[in-house]
Amino acid sequence: MTIRHQIEVESVTFLLLAGAVGIVFAFYSGYKFNPQNIVSLPVVESFQNPIPVITPIPKPDVSSQISPDGEKLLTMSVTTNDSGKTYTFTTSDANGANTQNVYSVTYADTADSMSIPFNTWSPDNKYVFINHIGPSGNDAIVLKANGEPITETESSINSTVIFKAKITNNLYDETTGWASETLLLINTKTSSGEKSTSYWFELPSKAIIPLSTQF
Amino acid sequence: MAKKLRSKKKLKIYFLVILIGVFSFAATRMLLDFTNRPPVCANSKTCNSDLSFRIDNNVAGIFEGRKVNPPVIDASSEETGVVLGAAVSPGEKHIYIDLATQTLIAYQGKTQVLKAFVSTGKWGRTPAGNFNVWQKLLSTRMAGGQGADYYDLPNVQYVMYFYHDFGLHTAYWHNNFGHTMSHGCVNMRKVDAKALYDWADGPSGKKLGTAVSVCDEITKDNKCIQNNPVQL
Repeated sequence: MTIRHQIEVESVTFLLLAGAVGIVFAFYSGYKFNPQNIVSLPVVESFQNPIPVITPIPKPDVSSQISPDGEKLLTMSVTTNDSGKTYTFTTSDANGANTQNVYSVTYADTADSMSIPFNTWSPDNKYVFINHIGPSGNDAIVLKANGEPITETESSINSTVIFKAKITNNLYDETTGWASETLLLINTKTSSGEKSTSYWFELPSKAIIPLSTQF
Repeated sequence: MAKKLRSKKKLKIYFLVILIGVFSFAATRMLLDFTNRPPVCANSKTCNSDLSFRIDNNVAGIFEGRKVNPPVIDASSEETGVVLGAAVSPGEKHIYIDLATQTLIAYQGKTQVLKAFVSTGKWGRTPAGNFNVWQKLLSTRMAGGQGADYYDLPNVQYVMYFYHDFGLHTAYWHNNFGHTMSHGCVNMRKVDAKALYDWADGPSGKKLGTAVSVCDEITKDNKCIQNNPVQL
C-alpha cells in the first residue's frame, strides 16, 4: 500500500467517524427533544362559575346535572323515611318547566346509593344514565329522558349487569359517558388493575362492541 | 518536502473532520426538529379550506362511522347570555387547558371565571404551548380522518382557533367530557363553549386575542408544565 493510499483510507475513515460522532453528539449531547416550559397560573382570588356546573348543586338532598346544550336538567332528590332512602329522578327543561318523573328507588341498606354522573345526558337529550353505587361496585342504569319505557318490556336497562354477563375476560371499570347519541362508553381493566379494552354499549339493541382505542 | 506535504494534507483532513462533524450535527438536529414538530392540522380535510364562518343546516354529520344530527343554527337569533366575569374587576384574560385532568380554567386577572371539563386530543395530539385566539367563528364545518376514522361535522359552534386549526369549540356528537375524544381540538359542552366564547376576545387591531395556554399538567402549586411546547 502506498503512502497515498494509506492517507486516502485514513481520510475516509476519519470522515466517516466524524459524521458518526456528529450524529451521536446530536442525539446525546444535551439536545433536548422535550424542552419544558413552566408558566405560573394566577393566584386565585375568588372562584366564580356562573353558568357551567361541574359539581352537583350543593344542596344536601338535591343534585342535578344540565345537558351539554344547556336545554335539559336531570335532578335527583333524596328523601329519608322509615323504609330507608328514596332516590327520585326527574327530568325537566333547564328552567324547571315540564318536569317528568323518570326513576325512583328506595334502599333500606345504607350501603346502596345513587348519583348523577357528569356526562349523564346523551348528546341528543333522549337518554340519561345514572349510577347505582352498591357493595359490589357501580352500575350504570339507562333511562329514557321522557319517562317512557326504554324497551317494550323494560322501564330501564342496567347496562353494567348486561356487560358483566357478556364480557368475562375483562373487568368492568366505569361507564364514562356517551360516544354518540346511542352509544355508552365503557372502560375495563385487567385483573391486575391495568387499563384494558374499551367498549361501546349500544341502545336499545344492548349490543356490546369492543373498540381498538382505549378511552 | 514530502513531510511538509503530508502535514498539509493532515491539516486538511482535520479541517474536513471538524466540518463534517459540525454538518452532521446540524443536519441531525434539523431532521429531529422537523420530525418532532407537532402537526399543524387538527382537521385534515378542512384545515386549509374551511376556517371560515359556515352554517350547514339540515345536513347530517358523520363521526366514528355513524350519522350524527348537527344542531340547527339561526345566527340571527343568537343571544349573548350572562357574560363571564361581568361582575369581576377587569384584568387580563387567560385560558388554561390541563391535558392531564381534561379541564379548562379561565381567568380574568386573578379571578377564576370558569372551570369546565373538556375533551382534548385522542386521535391527534393537542399541542402544548402558549397561544392566542386568532379567530372566532360562531359556526364552521370540520372534517378529516380516513376510513373508519373519517368525520364530517357541520355546524360546529363557538369556535376559537388558537393555533392553526386547533381550536376550542362545542362537540354536539358526544358527551364524554373529562376524557380525550378529539383529533386535537379542545371539545367543550355547548353551555361552557358559549359562555367562554362570549367572554373571550379575538384579535383586534394590534391587540392579540385572549391568551390560551395548553399545559401537559397543572401542578398543585398552579404551575403550567409544557413538554415539547410549540415554539411560535
